This record gives sequence, structure tokens and C-alpha cells, in this order.
Amino acid sequence: MIEFDRVSVRYQGATAPVLADVSLRIDEGELCLVIGHTGSGKSTLLGAINGLVPHFTGGTLSGRVVVAGRDTSAFPPRELADVVGLVGQDPLAGFVTDTVEEELAYTMEQLAIDPAAMRARCEETLDLLGLADLRHRELRTLSGGQQQKVAIGAALTAHPSVLVLDEPTSALDPTSAEDVLAAVTRLVHDLGITVVLAEHRLERVLYCADKIVYLPGDGSAAAGDPAAMMELATICPPVVELGKLAGWQPLPLSVRDARRCAPELRARLPARPPGAAAPPPGQVALAAKGIVVRYGPLVAVAGAALALHRAEVTALMGRNGSGKSSLLWAIQGSGRRDGGTVHAGSEGADPAALGPAAARRLVGLVPQTPADLLYLDTVGAELAQADKDAGRQAGRSAADLLDALAPGISRGGHPRDLSAGQQLALVLAIQLAAAPAVIALDEPTRGLDYQAKAALTRLLADLAADGHAVVVATHDVEFATAACQRVVVMAEGEIVTDDQAATVLTASPTFAPQVAKVLAPLPYLTVPQVAAALCAVPGPA
Amino acid sequence: MNRGFLAAISVRRRSVLTIAMASFIGLIAFGWPFAVAPGTFSSTQTPPLMFGVLLILVLAVVFAEIADGGIDAKAIAMLGVLSAINAALRPLGGGTAGVETVFFLLVLAGRVFGPGFGFALGCTSVFASALLTGGVGPWLAYQMFGCAWIGMLAGLLPPLRGKAEIAMLALFGAAGGYLFGFLLNLSFWPFSVDPASSIAYQPGLPLAAQLHRYLLFDAATSLGWDTGRAVTTALAVVIIGPPALAAFRRAARRANFQPAASFQPPPGPRSPAAAEVRPREVTTPGL
Amino acid sequence: MTPRARLPRALHPVAWWCWALGLATAASRTSNPLLLVLIAAVLGLTVTLRRTQAPWARGYRYYLLMAAVVIGIRIAFSVVFTSGPEAAGAIWLHLPVVRVPSWFTGVRIGGPVSAQAVLSAAIDGARLACLLCCIGAANTLANPKRALRVLPGALYELGVAVTVALSVAPQLVESVQRVRRARRLRGHGTGRRFAVLKGIAIPVLHDALERSLLLAAAMDARGYGRTCAATAASRRVTAGCLLAGLTCLCFGCYELLDPTVPRGLGAGGFAAGAALCVAGLVLGGRRVTRSRYRPDPWEWPEWVVAGSGLACAVALSLNVGYNPAALNPVLYPLHWPTLPAVPAAAILVTALAAAITPPAAEPLSRPAVGAQAMAEAST
Repeated sequence: MIEFDRVSVRYQGATAPVLADVSLRIDEGELCLVIGHTGSGKSTLLGAINGLVPHFTGGTLSGRVVVAGRDTSAFPPRELADVVGLVGQDPLAGFVTDTVEEELAYTMEQLAIDPAAMRARCEETLDLLGLADLRHRELRTLSGGQQQKVAIGAALTAHPSVLVLDEPTSALDPTSAEDVLAAVTRLVHDLGITVVLAEHRLERVLYCADKIVYLPGDGSAAAGDPAAMMELATICPPVVELGKLAGWQPLPLSVRDARRCAPELRARLPARPPGAAAPPPGQVALAAKGIVVRYGPLVAVAGAALALHRAEVTALMGRNGSGKSSLLWAIQGSGRRDGGTVHAGSEGADPAALGPAAARRLVGLVPQTPADLLYLDTVGAELAQADKDAGRQAGRSAADLLDALAPGISRGGHPRDLSAGQQLALVLAIQLAAAPAVIALDEPTRGLDYQAKAALTRLLADLAADGHAVVVATHDVEFATAACQRVVVMAEGEIVTDDQAATVLTASPTFAPQVAKVLAPLPYLTVPQVAAALCAVPGPA
Repeated sequence: MNRGFLAAISVRRRSVLTIAMASFIGLIAFGWPFAVAPGTFSSTQTPPLMFGVLLILVLAVVFAEIADGGIDAKAIAMLGVLSAINAALRPLGGGTAGVETVFFLLVLAGRVFGPGFGFALGCTSVFASALLTGGVGPWLAYQMFGCAWIGMLAGLLPPLRGKAEIAMLALFGAAGGYLFGFLLNLSFWPFSVDPASSIAYQPGLPLAAQLHRYLLFDAATSLGWDTGRAVTTALAVVIIGPPALAAFRRAARRANFQPAASFQPPPGPRSPAAAEVRPREVTTPGL
Repeated sequence: MTPRARLPRALHPVAWWCWALGLATAASRTSNPLLLVLIAAVLGLTVTLRRTQAPWARGYRYYLLMAAVVIGIRIAFSVVFTSGPEAAGAIWLHLPVVRVPSWFTGVRIGGPVSAQAVLSAAIDGARLACLLCCIGAANTLANPKRALRVLPGALYELGVAVTVALSVAPQLVESVQRVRRARRLRGHGTGRRFAVLKGIAIPVLHDALERSLLLAAAMDARGYGRTCAATAASRRVTAGCLLAGLTCLCFGCYELLDPTVPRGLGAGGFAAGAALCVAGLVLGGRRVTRSRYRPDPWEWPEWVVAGSGLACAVALSLNVGYNPAALNPVLYPLHWPTLPAVPAAAILVTALAAAITPPAAEPLSRPAVGAQAMAEAST
């Protein structure tokens, strides 16, 4: 169905090719997973399938890409619209119209499909993706997952033989992401459509992939059977890492497979992970009581109480709309607060009463879209502005902080050209320049790959070690497991659970990380814990 | 004009001719009270109606001509998004005295993306904002024409850089603000004032007397408003201009309008690797 | 039983525009205050019964406000900038005459104000106000997004750009609100107006520009701008038509300036130019091949609505069956105007639009938050 014959891609002005001599074939009806770190050429590979590379992006493609018998050198993307459907990262940015039904019809209108056939295909697609209830809704008002499903539906109405999805869940919260990936896997099974998927939430799709293309980052590509490719790849979900650690063959790709291999490992492991006792948290850096936030008739936070301790990373979890963001904004002082008290810092001042400049010296908040805070031309200018805003009573300059957080970011570069992880680091550095005692992050893991998440985990641990109180609103269970010592769960604006991470995360099946699911009832949460435990006990011969 | 990259919408020689003729018709449509020979029109109600219809037709022709030369997906998306900004900004300024937020973006975008794009953006911005706020009417064609001119002229300004560029754009924005007000007022002057009034249009007066009456009308009705528009546009260009121009130029660079894409077919026959794919040798690491 | 054509739905936007333009033509034909009031009543009734909750449908009261302002300005100007001491008719009051500098020649401020002058200004104002309300009613009743779909093929790109603008604008309003809120996190409060503007405008602009590139890629991948069906020859013919049409129009305009050119020639230039341009646009439409999803139906309610508007315009233009003088009653001497039967009936017929059109469909979606914010911002 898709054939890459000795394909190399070099962009204008670039010294090294993004793809070098890539040859691979994806057969009809396959679900092919493309994995690789940020910047390894995933998007280029996917773009080459429908001709966006190089017709749209510019550059030189040597070799040949043939899709459903059409050579992309002769067919620009618009002429391939009837065979290749493309779904991008940010569904909202790719929408042309503003309601669900019109969006589904848009591609068909471009292909000049007969109105009666269009109507029938729209209805089919609405049913296929479970969007029928939303047909007249405005796209803007849908949740991220629903939007992404509409984007998939809009590509499907043209009845393409290939569906290309470029990190379709990277901008979504885990719940929506699972929803979307479930829809994709159903499509592969029900329609027999060929799907090429770049994705870093491997744990949800790995088990149903037929083939994996791994891009190590040097321009080459390796393709093959999932279990075999997982041996090779440096990006693995925790369950595969656990399998590698335990030496299971073939590598388990799902929790279910791993669970079947696990009895032997469980028998070897001690009943408690060594050194599990968390260090005692420091003094209270922020105490919030009875916080109420309401938007008109909607109550977002209903009398929540939260205490944040120095030298501790707290995860704030809960489903979408449970009030996590509103609570963070309220305790920072910039958001709305209709009731309750906040005491922050050594003097116990209320940030909301101090004005924005003083509030950020008590509580620094990194919002969901960090780029909102960036408005200057270069990274250097942003850092200088941050130092100016912070006043000079603070200890470290923003530039120092950035180098500590993410070394090697060029000062002359444009802040918008940074990767999601680097942007996060920059904004974090800007906020830390004001030396706040409390640092809050709202959904920081959006758009980060495994490596960037691991880096963020280390970074938060360092911040806590420096004596900051850190609170992270997140949906990401694996991240919370690795990064946080305490977990606070919210629902309907109230705090439901507030306890040690180990206790909360092993108690509930929905919040349990993969390792805990495999090793239950043993209270292990992460692969490093298991590795440490295995080092401590002598293994079998 | 060496901008370092191609204009977003290429303007061919034929399009230039079209725009020139359209501009002539537009000038007459705005300036007929001064230019038309006396006794041409039986009623002062006729010309605005006639020219309103004519302008719509002419704008349609110009747009069709530009589009035939090719507006690719990048240019159309840029047009749509920038029109959206303008349409979203317009109500914010519309209520307060003379604060006009549309112009400065139009000037900057026309400057960076070229005269063809500026012309198209003037049209789509006004049209989109009229649709969004329910402001479609006979005045629309006049507004579209006025904005299209401003956008196009901004694209034709000389290639200065740095502070000189900002100063030039600010001056142009202010002048454009006045000119726009002057022309738009002119479009409804003939029928908006009671004909008996001494500042009303009176057919057959000599040019100087007519102009005198009009200037008084303009001063009485909208001078303050136009000054507000000119001042805000110039101030906005001076303050937001440098970073906004940088943002536009960066976008133009990234968008890479009319990209140079090339293909090199692979040497020799189809490689065996493509015909029969085998994963690379995978070594199974031991624990 | 409700016939299919009258099930709740949106009436074809072209029908509403025909209706409103017909009424506007009628209004422009008369200065009889009774007829003008009748037209205003029909507009008010129809708008009240048939408008929706959509953002563009909330603007009617601004048109009413604007109409009142127009009448007010006209009266004020006629009182202040008077025509001079020779004012005839019943003098209501004498305003003090303001001495004006010499370069104000010909302009008089103050002096006697006659009842006729004020009334004539008010009636003229009312006619303009009526025209405004007609346009306002069309804007309120016709769905603009649907109206975009009837743009001719040659203007396809314009339609696409505006469609994109309409769907992106509310997202940008949300983006502005988000960035404005985020600014406080950097310690920037509500400082000087322009400084605030910079901190908000630049992130929003970057956001929008990045969005445009993503959108372009999506549109390209989804088939925007697929190969046209038109041959090179047909494109040349199209271009020829358009250029020739514009040239004819230019000639027509030139005729207006130069009294030595015979009248008929100029009018002919306009007619030929318009015909050539329209032909060029129709031919140019073949450039784009695409189909329409669920096109708006044109059924008998559409015929009735559009027809009633046109009939009204024709009835007031033909001057048949009534005394044409009744349309424009004289003010000297002052008397109560009479109501001519045929024009009044023609206007009343247009009120059918309020009765026979299908009711507006209940919106299933929750109200558009951003659009609401925009509508509020525009107040």
C-alpha cells in the first residue's frame, strides 16, 4: 500500500538530511506505529506519505514514495486527498468550518462527491465514531478527544485507503487520548484501513500494532515486528521496560501479557520496595482553606482545602472539569476566588491581596499553554525581562535557572521555535526567577515524549530538594507515580483523597500505573523501584 | 522589492491592469460629487445605489482575477486567520471613540506579505467582520474598497528597514486612517444631510465650493473620529509594530510561500529492500 | 399537519435578502410617513417572530438605534445649518445667528427654523432609517454562513477565506482571554493601555500565525485547490471577458466626467461592461469543481417571501392604480397625509413573510461562548 524506496529528505538550508535512504513497505490493512524521539523525523516520514513533504514544506526528496500506486512526485497532497487521510496533532487548528457535520463534509465537497452519497457517508461516519449526538455542535465547544474524533471522521468520509495520524493524542489529556486511540484501533479492525500512527502513548496501542517503524534519530529507519522492535527502541512503555528488566521473551506488549509472565518475578521480589519510606515533608509553604470558585451558576471549586509542604511534590489529579486548574489559579491569586483563605510564604500573606508582581514571588504558576507567557523575540530577551520583573532580591538569574533546567538552549533563538519541553523549561525558569516558595504546574506533560517527561521528573525532584513546594495538576498516572510523593484527587470541585502517592496509586485500579497493575498486590510503582529491589536480592542463577 | 522571500499572493501583470482599472472606477465611485459633470444624475439617490452595485461587481472581478492567478492553501489560511483577527478586534475598538484596530494589522500584513495579499486581506477582513456582526449592507463595498487600497498601498511602500520602516508605516497608517474616513464619509455625504442644509451636497456647484461644503461636513461629523483612528493606528504601529513585523516575517519564512520542492528519482530499478521488506537485523539483548 | 416545507428550518438566505431589498426599494420610493411607518411595522413584526439566537441575529436593536441617530442627526443639522433667512413656511423658532469667519462663505449657522424644514428633515431621515432597518432585518434573518455558500464559483477563494475567518474568530477571542489572564502570572497587571496590548497581542498573533500554517497543511491534505476542470482556452476567454468588462465600465465612468460624450454611449458602456463581467465570473466559476453538502432547499415559502418583497418594490415603482403624488405628499401647506390603498396593500403583503415562513430551528448546540463574548464586546 505504501512503499518508500531509498527515500532521503533534506530541507532547504539544512545541513543534514532528516531521512536518509529509508526503504520500507506498509501493507494493506496494517496498523503501523512510527516511534522515535522528538526531532527524529517522524513528522517528515508521515508527511512524505501524502506528499506534504516536499510539496508543501519545500526541500528535496530523493528516492520514491508510492502510495496506492501513485508516485508522490507526480501527485501533490491535494491530489492524494482521496487515498490518504491526514490527522494532525491539534485538531482545532486544522478545522476549516465550525460545526461537526460541515467539517465531516468538507473533504468530500473538495472531491466533488455527489450530494446524496455525501449525506450517506456523513451518517455512516457519525455512527462509526459515535458522534451522532454532536452533529450540530460547534467544534470549538467539544472536548479535545471529541474534536480529534471529528478530525478522524473528516478524513474518513473521503474513504481513503490510508489514514495517517501524526501524534493525534499529544495535545489531549489521557482520558481523551484513550478514547481516540480506541477509536483508531476499532477502525483498523472494522474497516481494514491501513493506518500509520506516530504516537508516544505507546502503552495504549502497542498491543494491536502490526508493525513498528523506529527512527533512532540519525535519519535511518528500522521496520519490523512490534516485539522485536521494542527490543531495539529506547522508547518503551513501563510494561516493556519491566519485561526487558525481567528478561521475558517474547517481550510483553500489554499489561495482560505481562501479568501472565509475572508470577515468577513477584515471587522473587521482597514484599516492600527497599527504601520506600518517603522523607518527611518540610514545613507548610501554602495553606488554603475553604476555597470556592464559581463561574456564574457553575461551581468549579467547592470549598477545597489544600496544604503544600516544602520539599514535596504533590500531584493534583481528577477528571476534566473537576476544578484542578481553577484551584491552582485561585491559590496563585491571579484566578477567581469567591471564598476561602490562602496563606503563603513565611509571613502567611494572601497572594490575591498583594497584586500580581508580589503574588508571583509567593506562588509561581506555569499555565497549561506556557507559550502564553512569551511575547519577546528571543529567548535571551525573555530571560532578561524575567530578571527585570523579578527585581534583584532574588537569588539566581533566569538564565542560570534555564541552564540548570534545560542546558543548551540558544539565547538568540525564537521562543516559539523551541520544542514543547524546552518551552516549558523556559517558562519555568522565568517563574523561578522570582524565587517563589511554591511552584504550581498545570498539565505540564502535554506534548512531552517519554524522555522529556523523565527530564521533567528529575527537574521537579531537584526543585523539591531545593526546598520548593511543588504542585502539579496532571492526568498522567505514570508521570505522577514517578514524580510525586503525595497525590490529591479532586472531583466536582471537592477534594476526595489526599494521601501518600504509594497509597493512593495502588489503591485504585484507575489510577494504578502499569507496573503496579502487573505486580499487584505487591506495592511496586515504577521500574526503577523493581530494579533496585532486584539488585538488593540475589537473583536466580 | 527584495523581501528575502516571495510574496504570499503573486500578482501578475494582468492582475495589475485589473487592479488599476478597478481603482479608477473606485475613485469615481467615491469622488463623483466633485468630478461628475452637472446634470448627469437626476436624483442624488441614484449614484450611491449605482456605484454600490458597480463596486461589488468590480471587487468580484478583481478577486476572481487574483484568485485565478493562484491563492494556494497557505495564502488562503493566512488570509482567513488574519481576517479573523481583524474581525475579532473590530468590535473591541468600534465602541470607543475612533479607536480603529483593523488598520494597523492591515498595514503590517500588507507590508510583509505583499500588495496582492494586502488587497485581498482588506476585502476579506471587512467582509468577515460584517458577516460576524450582521453589518452587511450597501456600505460594505465602499469599506472593502477602502481597506483593500490601504492594504495594497502598504505592500507597495519602499523597502526601508528598522526605525525608518516603522516611522514610514506609522505615517502611512495615520494618513490611511484619515483618507479612509474622508472617502467613507464622502460615500454617504450626498444623501445623509438634508439637501436644504448649507453643508449638503448640491449638484452643479463648482469644485472648490463643493469641496468646501464637504470639508465642513467632514469636520462636523467625523473629524474627531478620524483623528482617533489615525492616532491609534500610528501609535499601534510604533508600539506593536516591531514585534508584530518580526512575527509576520517569521511566519512568512516558516510558511515558505511557493516552496522550492524538488524530487530526485532513485537510481536504477526498484531496490530489493522496498520490494520485500525485512526488518533490519535485530539483535536480542540478553538481560 | 405541517407540510414538509414548513417544518422548523432556516429559510434560504437569498429569499430574506430579496424580501428586504424589495422593501428597501419601496421605502426609497416614498416620503409618505404613513407608508414608512407601515414598512417599519412589517420589519419589526417579522424580525420579532423569525429571528434566532445566533450571534448575528442579535444586532437588530443596534440598527434601530442607528436609525434613531440618523433621524436625530438630520433634524439637528437642518436646525443648526439652516438654509438662510429666506426660510419659508411656519416659523417655529428663531435661533441666534452665529457669526462665521469669512472662509465659511455660504454656510449659515442659526436663524429661523420652519416647521416644514424640520418635518422634511425628519421624514427624509425616517426614509433612511427605514432603509437601514431593511438591511438590518436581512442581516438578522439570513444566516451569513449559509449566504456564503451561494457565492459564485469564481469567488470560491473569498468564500473559503471568510469561512475560515468566521470559524477562527471566536477561537481567537478565547485565546485573547487566556493570554490576558496569563499575563498576571508574569507580574504584569493592568498597566498602561499599549503596554498591555503588546503583551497580549504578540502571543495571540504568534498563536494565530502558527495556526494558519497548520490549517494550510490540513487544507492541502484535504483536497483544497484540486486541479481545475477548466482548459487553458476557457481560462483565456474568462480573463478576456473580465478585462473587457472592466474596460467598458471604465469607459462608462469616464463618460460621467466628460459632458461631451453622448449620454447613451456611457450607459451602454456600463451595460456592456456589467454583462461582460458577469459572463466572466460565470465562466470563471468553472475553475472550481466541488459539490455542496446539504444545500439549502428553495421551496414555496422561499418563493412567497422573495416574491412578496419584489412585488412590493414593483408596486411602489410603477405608479399604477394610485395617484403617484400620494407617495410623496407636499409639505406646503401642512396637512395630514393620505394613505394610498395599493402601496399600503403591497407593503402589507410582505408581512406574509412573518406568517408563512417555517419557524426557526431550535439550536441543538449550547450557545457559542466566544461568539457571545464577541457580541457583547461589540455592544
